[in-house]
Amino acid sequence: MSLPQLLLRSPRYLRTSGTPCHLWWSQSLGTISSVGSWRGQSSKSPAYWNQVVSEAEKIVGYPTSFMSLRCLLSDELSNIALQVRKLVGTQHPLLTTVRGLVQDSRNNLQLRGLVVLLISKAAGPSSVNAPCQNYDMVSGIYSCQRSLAEITELIHTALLVHRGIVNLSELQSSDGPLKDMHFGNKIAILSGDFLLANACNGLALLQNTKVVELLASALRDLVRGVYHENFTSAKEDYITNDIGISTWKEQTFLSHGALLAKSCQAAMELAKHDAEVQDMAFQYGKHMAMSHKINSDLQPFIKEKTSDSTTFNLNSAPVVLHQEFLGRDLWIKQIGEAREKGRLNYAKLRETIKAGKGVTSAIDLCRYHGNKALKALESFPPSEARSALENIVFAVTRFS
Amino acid sequence: MTSCWWRWRRGCPWRPATRSPGPGSPGRAGPCGPRPTAAARAQISYFYLVKSLTSACSNMYSISRLHHTTSATCCCSKTWSGEKYTDPFTLGRRYLKGLYEDIRKELLICPTELKEMSEYYFDGRGKAFRPVIVVLMARACNIHHNNSRDVQASQRAIALIAEMIHTASLVHDDVIDDASSRRGKHTVNKIWGEKKAVLAGDFILSVASIALARIGNTTVISILTQVIEDLVRGEFLQLGSKENENERFAHYLEKTFKKTASLIANSCKAVSVLGCPDPVVHEIAYQYGKNVGIAFQLIDDVLDFTSSSDQMGKPTSADLKLGLATGPVLFACQQFPEMNAMIMRRFSLPGDVDRARQYVLQSDGVQQTTYLAQRYCHEAIREISKLRPSPERDALIQLSETVLTRDK
Repeated sequence: MSLPQLLLRSPRYLRTSGTPCHLWWSQSLGTISSVGSWRGQSSKSPAYWNQVVSEAEKIVGYPTSFMSLRCLLSDELSNIALQVRKLVGTQHPLLTTVRGLVQDSRNNLQLRGLVVLLISKAAGPSSVNAPCQNYDMVSGIYSCQRSLAEITELIHTALLVHRGIVNLSELQSSDGPLKDMHFGNKIAILSGDFLLANACNGLALLQNTKVVELLASALRDLVRGVYHENFTSAKEDYITNDIGISTWKEQTFLSHGALLAKSCQAAMELAKHDAEVQDMAFQYGKHMAMSHKINSDLQPFIKEKTSDSTTFNLNSAPVVLHQEFLGRDLWIKQIGEAREKGRLNYAKLRETIKAGKGVTSAIDLCRYHGNKALKALESFPPSEARSALENIVFAVTRFS
Repeated sequence: MTSCWWRWRRGCPWRPATRSPGPGSPGRAGPCGPRPTAAARAQISYFYLVKSLTSACSNMYSISRLHHTTSATCCCSKTWSGEKYTDPFTLGRRYLKGLYEDIRKELLICPTELKEMSEYYFDGRGKAFRPVIVVLMARACNIHHNNSRDVQASQRAIALIAEMIHTASLVHDDVIDDASSRRGKHTVNKIWGEKKAVLAGDFILSVASIALARIGNTTVISILTQVIEDLVRGEFLQLGSKENENERFAHYLEKTFKKTASLIANSCKAVSVLGCPDPVVHEIAYQYGKNVGIAFQLIDDVLDFTSSSDQMGKPTSADLKLGLATGPVLFACQQFPEMNAMIMRRFSLPGDVDRARQYVLQSDGVQQTTYLAQRYCHEAIREISKLRPSPERDALIQLSETVLTRDK
């Protein structure tokens, strides 16, 4: 079955089946090379992670199929599907992204949306008298909060699609015809813009200017973060950025934490919770996202079975920390030593890093953020939703 | 296959029909801008009207000055307000001092290349066509409402936001069209590459959205969100083409509305909502912006055939090269049915672009498109004339004429 068929089929599938299905962007995160984080896998046991998530999903009422039906059923999307079909056989990265979006993979999910729903439920209705329209509650979550969860995923996916654009002037002949790549860019921009337009539309319908501002600023942060992530090191290939861990944390917050933190805050605002509760939700979103990202960065260094071909990001947490302990000059020297015939020997470099203090302090940092996230949760009353949020933190901070 | 997605809108379950302003908030009352479908349908008959009119009128170019008198006769309020104005842009820019500085301030947040890219088109060398219309409309509405002589800060913000949304869409369009020059400069994608250009567009859009949210009016947010949706839908319309001639023309006008006029119409409406509670005024502002916007784009399409690239700051025959059949081509096709095949294959064969251009210049496609643009301008003038006289109202009338007579 071709991708577009799958794409077109998905809405019906979503509609008729009651089982959770994470079509769309589900696996996408793993497919874009530079992203790396947010993979739905826990430190040691994917089984434990899956259990945490599937229990959390039960709590929020129904499967987290956020990309709404109206969006999937729209003509623009059918058109995108038709256009994407023309890309089959080309080298354009959009194809990989879409393939990731369409494939149903058990281990990956729309975690951001799920967290927004869980924290909405954990906070419950506000004590202030019942808010107005758009506020019917299902499973303890307002419908506007469900929309927000969906918008969060839309924004995330749009940026995912937009970062898969290729620079036409840098293409090699092995990339295939220029025409195909240009066409791929065109469709990628349009699809991303379409998702963003849907997000804007959904935001406008929420009729809350503060929420619009929060999510718009989350989009701005995300764009800045993606920009840093993709381009700051572009000039000097294969070297860690010349930044300390505090700058790394700022940039990582923009690219991985801001959207979730601000969405969690906005979910509180929608239920008319006060500033203090909003801040706690923000803190949870921020620190949970940070520890999740660091956990993901740690994977190449702590997995028992790593093949020699496993690469890792030179701007990931353990590497940046390693550089910080070592000093940049020594680290550059180590990278130089690991370079063989112009190519980096990642297996060798990994052993070098594992011998240093980078990995252990990354684990500490992961736990530090995890604890901050748990601390923020303490202000919410105990509930199964709160436990699920805690379990998510436990899952990403557990290193045997 | 291409035609099947053209079932657009019919039964599309999530059109913003349900979007309603909160209780007590102004705006969106009354027919909030004809749904473009209806507008486009109306244009089909209009198309024949234009055809018959233009065939009756032998010298089309003489018409271009005709409408000045027409506008005076169709003015509902009796007189011009008498105040002397020279150029609507001069008047408008008076209220827009520091516009680009303010936009750059909004973009200041990140001190990197991203900021440099985002600022690139806000160099103050553009026409600022949209902001000028927006502030003039704001003042015209304020004066109409309570003779207020001020432009509210929120109304000025709409001018900024309109220009930012416009620029964000330009940056993305240039990547989509693989354009290399605009306003006499290299495009962002040619200088920094496509990957970064796309992010720059997203960045400008996000900053515009933040500014929009800060105005703090949910009705205004809904109005301008419609623009973002229309821009994307317009771009989608541009991907497809129609076999049937009438549908093709409706398709073209629909695309023109969404890609160009929606921004002007809805920002005009937004400032009217901020300045005046009367839904009738909102509708006037919307209709004015819509009609001027369509006229503006029709003339733009004409200039793609008649102007030199030096004048335009971008290459000409650009639309044909992109495979797009604009107004002049569609009219020419009436006279030279052999163009049909070329339109359908989107001018993709070698020589198609040149031949199509020759056909257009031999036909009266340019004149008929110009004439159609005049009709839209008349309509815009008819609408805006319903407002109480003011220098700004008259500048808007004048501005619709400069839309017709511009050569770049």
